Amino acid sequence: MLNVILAAEESEGGGGADLLLPATPELIAGIIAFGIVFFFIWRWAVPAINKSLEERQRAIGGQLQEAEKTKAEADGLLADYRAQIAEAKAKQNEMIDEARAEAEQVKADIIAKANAEAEQILARARHDADAERSRVLVDARSDVANLSIDLAERVVGGSLDRDMQLGLVERYIQDLER
Amino acid sequence: MDQLILALEECDFVNEPVCVPGDVADLFVFPNIVGQVNRTVFLIFLAAAIVIALLYFAFRRPSLVPTKFQAAIESLVGVVRNDIAVGIIGPDGIKYFPYLLSIFLFILVGNLFEITPLVNFPITSRMAIPLFLALVTWAIFLVVGIRKQGLKYFGELLWPPGVPTGLKPLVGVIEFVSTILVRPFSLAVRLFANLVAGHVMLSLLLVTGWIFISNLVTNYGEIGLKGIAGFAWFGLGLGIWVFELLVAILQAYIFTLLSAVYIESSIHPAH
Repeated sequence: MLNVILAAEESEGGGGADLLLPATPELIAGIIAFGIVFFFIWRWAVPAINKSLEERQRAIGGQLQEAEKTKAEADGLLADYRAQIAEAKAKQNEMIDEARAEAEQVKADIIAKANAEAEQILARARHDADAERSRVLVDARSDVANLSIDLAERVVGGSLDRDMQLGLVERYIQDLER
Repeated sequence: MDQLILALEECDFVNEPVCVPGDVADLFVFPNIVGQVNRTVFLIFLAAAIVIALLYFAFRRPSLVPTKFQAAIESLVGVVRNDIAVGIIGPDGIKYFPYLLSIFLFILVGNLFEITPLVNFPITSRMAIPLFLALVTWAIFLVVGIRKQGLKYFGELLWPPGVPTGLKPLVGVIEFVSTILVRPFSLAVRLFANLVAGHVMLSLLLVTGWIFISNLVTNYGEIGLKGIAGFAWFGLGLGIWVFELLVAILQAYIFTLLSAVYIESSIHPAH
């Protein structure tokens, strides 16, 4: 290839064809300069680039892990709070139910007690009334007997055997009641 | 720039539409400063120093949250590492990352010299640099091919799978010429020719523009209103300057990408 170019250069008598050939000082300078660039990049730049990338990767990885950890903690706390709230609600409902049941019980007791007292009062009243009635009956019976005897004494004009007559009247009243 | 103006100072600005130097080599060959060292040699070492400085200051004390400068260099390095080395070659590509990063940055800085004010000369427009780098890539992909596959590599290279026996001699010759002989030169010439063309266009347009405009002021009697064309040339030159920025980046990328593709084809012969 170089020979072709050289031949072309010769046929054209130099000039522009010179430009197609590498100039020796420039070639040597290019080899040295590129060699330095390559050596620097190979030995220094690429390790520095890799180190920088790795550090960044590590830092980002660490931050992500930290964020995940924090999120997990936050999720745990949230779950705890939710559980506590649920527990509190359950307890509240339980207490309300208990209170309601107690109230029902108290209500039932009060009503039962009131009923029993009412029954008692009624029974006592009935008993008192019966006793009063008996006592009034006894009094009336005695009064009627005495009045009858007094009347009879007045009619017959003498005294009658009071006890015997009272016994008679009593028997008579009893017969009437029967 | 001074040399360009000197080269073009005998410009026949009265009769010619654009100033053209007597010999195009005047745009590319600089006189020696000391011994064999000319401006190009100095610029080659300057390019190396700039690459080293960029990487050194970017990764000297890398911070987890990068500065703008570090982030910019990291994104360049990332393109070579992830898109070219690993993206083209595969996980094995990381071994070639130092070489690919070296050629990418060296060529990129060398190309950008074309549009750098006061430098205005791409070192890659001198055949020495593209040819040397292309030959290194060529040597690498041949050595890698032989190391990975032994001498069978040349069989795979010359006769891709499925070639009928009758066609083997012809295909073998074509593949030998295209892969082994022409490939390094096509790689070199692609870069070289793009930068030569860019440098010629920029130099002629900007220098002609400058000469026409300055003669419009100092030699109006000779150049007349034609001197106004200098503004058009200069404006067009500035437009091409932006275009050349794109070319400089693209050619560095293409050279590196093709180097990776060639190495990959030696590692994985099935392609």
